[in-house]
Amino acid sequence: MNNRCVEEGLSAPVNVTWEMTYACNLSCIHCLSDSGLKKPGELTTDQCLRVIDEMARNKVFQFNIGGGEPFMRPDFLDLMDHAHEKGMVTCISTNGTLIDDDVARRLNHPLVYIQVSLDGATDRSNDAIRGKGSFRKVINALECLKQENIEVSINTVLTRRSISELDKLADLAASFGAKLRVSRFRPSGRGKKSWSELNVSHEQMLDFSHWLGEHLKVSTGDSFFSVSTEERRSLGLNMCGACKLTCCLSPQGDVYPCAFLQEKEFYAGKLPQESFADIWRNASVFHSFRELEIKSCESCHRFDLCHGGCPAIAYHTQRKLGVADPECLENCVRVKMSAAVNA
Amino acid sequence: MEKAIMGITARYLLCEGVQVRSESFGLLFYHYAGPKIYFVRSNDLVDESFFSGKQTLSDLIDALRQTRGWSEKLAKRQLSTLMRLLKSRGLVYEQPVC
Repeated sequence: MNNRCVEEGLSAPVNVTWEMTYACNLSCIHCLSDSGLKKPGELTTDQCLRVIDEMARNKVFQFNIGGGEPFMRPDFLDLMDHAHEKGMVTCISTNGTLIDDDVARRLNHPLVYIQVSLDGATDRSNDAIRGKGSFRKVINALECLKQENIEVSINTVLTRRSISELDKLADLAASFGAKLRVSRFRPSGRGKKSWSELNVSHEQMLDFSHWLGEHLKVSTGDSFFSVSTEERRSLGLNMCGACKLTCCLSPQGDVYPCAFLQEKEFYAGKLPQESFADIWRNASVFHSFRELEIKSCESCHRFDLCHGGCPAIAYHTQRKLGVADPECLENCVRVKMSAAVNA
Repeated sequence: MEKAIMGITARYLLCEGVQVRSESFGLLFYHYAGPKIYFVRSNDLVDESFFSGKQTLSDLIDALRQTRGWSEKLAKRQLSTLMRLLKSRGLVYEQPVC
């Protein structure tokens, strides 16, 4: 990653996270967007097509599609087709429960990547978080996708429950020719309520950091640059990409810095009514993010590896920006040592 | 000498799965395998439109000589260094013009 080029400012994001609906047929206890029912004001098919056209005009390369469950939209596959016709890559995060042979066949396109969510390697552990019967449905989806040779990742949110099953999840992914991707749990949406119960301890985060260093094929979607070890230095971002490389579009067309900061104070504009190019270049909240400096971290020996970590975690845990990610590797080590001294 | 300055009369096209856009620092390439991004600090030497295949490297050298007053040697050297880098990263390929 060339930080200096990024800091000079890009004309458009590399990718846009697009949460296409709040509708979801599951109700996972850690859902970042508190999804369930479709909400009033979600973008219509025509509005979505306009959004895709505008992103393509701005040369955004990739959509990271999420929700809610995107397959709950009856027009979803048509919208993806439209994005592909414009040459845009779509990385679709799904709970997998609505993928059958026909859907898998339709998804077989070189510009499609699929991430299927699993939060445990067995019915019992997964379904306790994602709902009864979801594990079996995901396994069925993985079989359908494998038959079509579609590139798939299994996405697991790191929690106190999933951490002990990471090896099994990596094996499960490999059995389908898939990769394991671990993402960071953040206290947004329903995650606010389940944070204290599910979030890993500092010591577990340290164990996980070590595990990641030994499993270089496991991807993290750059969620964990704050705990990345030297071994992973070349594998991805070493800073938060919000407003620099990426931003987020809500189901209602609201633009935010990232999926975990969809709060009123971070609202940047609305599509398709406003120009995306104008929002990207001129929204004051985006400017503040680009200028965000975590002063307290600048003297840290790991600053070049994480630049202060995830602002969303800092915001949700301390209600302010410009402060360190409390779960950075350095802080985890400090907490562990202090606990050892006190013991 | 000409051997070192490869493909002067060639067009340079994007490899499969590669997209490019111009940025203030130069060129930003995106490869769908990965996906990966590549920052190329080429400033305003080449515009993204060059990779549509409408111009040859020779056309670009002429343009640089006219618009910037560069010598042919300088323009050739700058552009062949850049094209060699892009080829080595699997971002572009050379299409000879018969």
